[in-house]
Amino acid sequence: MAKVAMIIDRQDHVATCISAIKRGETVELMLNGRKSKKIKATQNIPYSHKICVKPMKKGDQCLKYGLSIGSATKEVKVGDYIHVHNIDSNRGRGDLASD
Amino acid sequence: MAKRASTSRNGASRRSKASSGIRKTWWGFPRENGDIGARNYLLVLSGTLYANPTCERVARTLRHSVSITHPLGRCQIEPDLKRTFETLVAHGQNANAGAVVVIDHHREEGCTADEIAHEIAKTGKRVEAVNIRLSGGAIEATAKATRIGMEMIRELTNERRQEVPVSKLLLGLNCGTSDTTSGISHNKATGWVTDQVVKFGGRALLAETTEMMGGEDVLAAKCVRPALGKKIWRMVEEMEERILACGVDLRGSQPTGDNMEGGLSTIEEKSLGAIQKAGTAPIVDVIPYSVRAKKIPGLHVMDTPGHGGESITGIAGGGAQVLIFSTGGGHTINHPLMSTLRITGNPVSAELQRDTLDVDVSDIFTGTPIEVAGRRVYDEVIDVASGKMTKAEILHEDNAFGITRVGPSV
Repeated sequence: MAKVAMIIDRQDHVATCISAIKRGETVELMLNGRKSKKIKATQNIPYSHKICVKPMKKGDQCLKYGLSIGSATKEVKVGDYIHVHNIDSNRGRGDLASD
Repeated sequence: MAKRASTSRNGASRRSKASSGIRKTWWGFPRENGDIGARNYLLVLSGTLYANPTCERVARTLRHSVSITHPLGRCQIEPDLKRTFETLVAHGQNANAGAVVVIDHHREEGCTADEIAHEIAKTGKRVEAVNIRLSGGAIEATAKATRIGMEMIRELTNERRQEVPVSKLLLGLNCGTSDTTSGISHNKATGWVTDQVVKFGGRALLAETTEMMGGEDVLAAKCVRPALGKKIWRMVEEMEERILACGVDLRGSQPTGDNMEGGLSTIEEKSLGAIQKAGTAPIVDVIPYSVRAKKIPGLHVMDTPGHGGESITGIAGGGAQVLIFSTGGGHTINHPLMSTLRITGNPVSAELQRDTLDVDVSDIFTGTPIEVAGRRVYDEVIDVASGKMTKAEILHEDNAFGITRVGPSV
């Protein structure tokens, strides 16, 4: 049985995995309680963490809830694990404040 | 834990039933000023940190009492001392306190037990001040406060609950140890509860300014007046400026370590999940920390830090009788006076923290509609408001009274 990940808004780049996912597994995407499409996970993803459902280039805004949750810090492909290693906050940035 | 609904039935038919037979009243203790208490505790309130042990001794002796202690009330710069004073007064005024004994150790200019008691008395409830020095020391003060408290409890326990409308409820909203289940399960269910309470003429109180960062537009769009939206933008901006003025980065503090372990990558992601607690209700007012919310039906927003204890202290000061604490990881937080109902949608936490959590809505992930899970939480809110104790209350987990500060100690 395919693992499931939930997309909140149609525009989103990410889906929330509702079980732990192993690299190579097929993930069924759900949007508003309906099955959307299937993708393949390129990496292991822990329970409740995010999988990429739309590709992003470095600097792209990463959307969840249809809104930005930060910027991509590198290229991210569909099926990749998304977390602090490839997206970063746009807010409260002490490192940018001194510029 | 409140039972999960069976998830085998058809979602659509259960959706239509979510609001059927919903209770529009609860049972509480009417106060002279029109407020309704969900509890009728004797509150033993510490004016300064040096009165804390006396307060704790008194409260340990007296069944039916709770104590509020803290490390403040002395050597604070004026805006901080004012905030301490106002927060202590607001807790004495909270309708869950049926009567209050305030204790201080000497004389704290601007925050004496007498001054605190004077403000609390304006609600019409019984309040007495005890000064340790003038009583002849800690043992004499303990005896005096215990005797006064005992007589007060004799009266309090002779009062009866009355049936009152949901419009008399101020429901506090807070989340903590958030993870990526928060924004799609327990915070959504909480949002459904907010909508019901507001629909019946009640009030809800959203806080945690740090967790509005990235969600300002969503919140501003809910405001009944553009000026309120601007206030929200300004208060988040000020929070961000205060953080950056320390020469540090919000990252590393927010999201917290447990947030990130739970899958939250950025403060914006945490915020957009957190504000789901607001539901679809209109925002009718935006208020400063620990200031009593006006009697306007709808959603009120309070300027508090993301720090859970400090945030829910502000909410209790706002007058909330019951708080939904919506948690991904299974937070152990509990306010000593405001009943704290802890809920989760994370099935792992529901299992690991079953002694900590009151309601499990993790069946949202196996197909239960939000409104069905929300109804389960709503029913618990009404029960708790009417006297059912939360697990934290039974276990005396009074760990979350903390007044947020603006400046240093002096």
